[in-house]
Amino acid sequence: MIRNILLVAGREFRQVVQLKSFWLTLLLVPVALALGPILGDKLEDRDPAKVVVIDRAGGTTRAVLEQRFAFEHDQQVLRDLSRYVRRHGLEAADPQAAWAQHDRWYTPADVLAFRQAGGIDAALAKIAKVKAKDTPEFDPPSQDFTFVAPPPDLATADGEALQAGVDRALKAKDTAPEHADLVVLIGPKYPADPTVRLWANEQPKQAFVGPLNETLTADLRQRLLTANGLSPQSAAMVQSAAPALSVTTPPPGGGGKEALLVRSIVPLALAYILMMGLMLSGSWMLQGSIEERSKKLLESILACITPEELMYGKLLGALAIGLSMLTVWLGTGAAVAFATHGAIADLIRPALAPVTSPGAIATLIFFFIAGYVAISIIFVAIGAMADSMSEAQGYLMPVLLGILLPVTFLMQAIIAGNSGPMVQVLTWVPIWTPFAILARLGMGVPTLELVGAGAVLAVFIALEVIFLGRLFRASLLAQGQKPGLKQMIERLRPATE
Amino acid sequence: MSVLKVEALTKRFADVLAVDDLSFSVEPGEIYGFLGGNGAGKTTTLRMVLDIIRPTSGRIEVLGGAPDRRNTAAIGFLPEERGLYGNMSAIDAITYFGRMKQMAASDAKAHGMELLKRFDLGDRAKAKISEMSKGMAQKVQLATAIVNRPRLLILDEPFSGLDPVNQQLLEDEIVGAAKGGAAVVFSTHVMQHAERLCDRILLLRKGKKRFEGTIDEARDQLPARIDAVAPAGITGIEGIAAANATADLGNGWSEYSLSLDPGVDAGDVLQRCTASGLPLRRFEERRATLHDVFVHLVGSAPDSSGELAR
Repeated sequence: MIRNILLVAGREFRQVVQLKSFWLTLLLVPVALALGPILGDKLEDRDPAKVVVIDRAGGTTRAVLEQRFAFEHDQQVLRDLSRYVRRHGLEAADPQAAWAQHDRWYTPADVLAFRQAGGIDAALAKIAKVKAKDTPEFDPPSQDFTFVAPPPDLATADGEALQAGVDRALKAKDTAPEHADLVVLIGPKYPADPTVRLWANEQPKQAFVGPLNETLTADLRQRLLTANGLSPQSAAMVQSAAPALSVTTPPPGGGGKEALLVRSIVPLALAYILMMGLMLSGSWMLQGSIEERSKKLLESILACITPEELMYGKLLGALAIGLSMLTVWLGTGAAVAFATHGAIADLIRPALAPVTSPGAIATLIFFFIAGYVAISIIFVAIGAMADSMSEAQGYLMPVLLGILLPVTFLMQAIIAGNSGPMVQVLTWVPIWTPFAILARLGMGVPTLELVGAGAVLAVFIALEVIFLGRLFRASLLAQGQKPGLKQMIERLRPATE
Repeated sequence: MSVLKVEALTKRFADVLAVDDLSFSVEPGEIYGFLGGNGAGKTTTLRMVLDIIRPTSGRIEVLGGAPDRRNTAAIGFLPEERGLYGNMSAIDAITYFGRMKQMAASDAKAHGMELLKRFDLGDRAKAKISEMSKGMAQKVQLATAIVNRPRLLILDEPFSGLDPVNQQLLEDEIVGAAKGGAAVVFSTHVMQHAERLCDRILLLRKGKKRFEGTIDEARDQLPARIDAVAPAGITGIEGIAAANATADLGNGWSEYSLSLDPGVDAGDVLQRCTASGLPLRRFEERRATLHDVFVHLVGSAPDSSGELAR
């Protein structure tokens, strides 16, 4: 029996492997996954937004704004550099430097010290001395905003001319010299009239409006305090009074939602691969079954092997296809991680954490294989009933929608960190159990639930083998007879022949 | 020992009695014909012998045991509806079926190549089935049936759809297999093939056996006819059941079509004519053909091509 099952499985496997669509799928998925981040990086708008400040009051507001945004940027550089140093253990480069200390919210004093020490270039030079060869380079954050001088026609224009000039600047191409993304107008009576106008070519970001508002507020308060008799130094002291925030964060990738997401990457990817593999191999397997029926091959085959051997062989062939795709895709991922050493490997290491224990690996293998078998049996039964691909589609579409739609919702729920009632229900319904368990592995599934859902799935597969096996056997030689619901139910009964 | 023995075999599909109390046996080296019209139960019987479907009652013995896939190594089967995997090469298809019949891959491949060369397809061994003509594919299909050198070769309407060249090839293979000691069972509704090939035949009608025996025994089921040119006195010769004058040739001579009484030999009639001094210008015996017997027993007429409508 085993020999015949392996023989059929081998033929099914070779048939699919000979299909161009198999190789296209096998190659396209890794290519798409590889191109995704590259394209995403390329498509990301890294150009800073151009800010034009028209200061009709003739004060220092514009300069103060520029300084504030420069501070914001340098603070971001410090934060990113600090995470980079912590991720790769590079504190030895300069233990006293602010970027080597990860327990605080960087203050203006930290930023000032950072600048005085030579800024990012000096920091990177120190890091380069202790950095291992395979440690990736630091990718500094791009500047969000850049300040440009107002076009001449805007500097003095008022009323409609000002509006027209602003419109021209906002609508101008990115490359045009008069282009601006944000225009800030400080009126001639500022600060007596504290109205400050802001034009933007889209909804302005909080990253701009927040600091702008804080800077102008501080400026107004400074003026108010000095006008009320406080010395400029005392006023500045009041303004700069702030708590020294001590911040404790988990290491990069190691905490909270980020950790959950990272830990869910591999389980989610497996659930996704299971879904993709089932859709594809199910379609290929159907083509093979329909060829056997349409080319009148079945009688010749059934004279040599039993219907059960044919069915199990087809299932095993489909499983081999699925595992091949899994191996190639995961292998490609591992190869990429190995080749790139750095960032991706660092991401994958915590991502692999939930699937490195023997128990987790056994769980993965069980639910992946059980999922493949549970759904593939349905495809095999459909293949035994349909005489043509179009007829098979009639059965296949509702089945696929019924299985895959809830799975897409499930995966979104897992990504959002949601383990509510829908996720629980899907875990216990056998056709969705493999997807739910695989996807949830990163979040952690209670052992009792894992064993219970696995047992329910195993029972479901056993029932499928009995009932769909009968349907398969009864349908094999019933060529040209499109079974109605009544006939299908009759075929589920034990064979009387 | 019989290669195939069937006793009181009955198969019922719901309200339809497809095979009714059928018994027969086939010996090694024998070519056994299964003759019957549409719905006679030929294919159903062969499927039961192959264990593709199970009988309602009765007993089947194949190579000394119950029908089972464990016998596949000794059984060759060519179904009525034929086809192969289009993407497979000829030799791969033959090897695949050989392996399903428990052959080692190397043996199946070697014998497959031998068969392809014998069928003049040696240079197309690696061609895909989908790239072959229908006639070539039919030869490959035949090779898949006999690659395991079967002791029992079952052919369901094997000549259906074959061109004359492939029909001759198949006839040669059937005769060759029988000479090699295999029992060959084939169903057909082409009487010429049965007459040429079969040692014994079985006539089925609505699942029930109507006749089993040799071709000669089958032809004896109907009385022989004699074409004679003689004077009117021939009508009184003993053993002649009816004399139908078909033409008046003048001068007292007529052309007759004579029917004999059952069991009467034409030679005896000729002797009686001579003994009684009846002159004869022509006396030609026409035995009943298998076609006549088929129509008489089964009740369906062959179509114009010599084949019964299916």
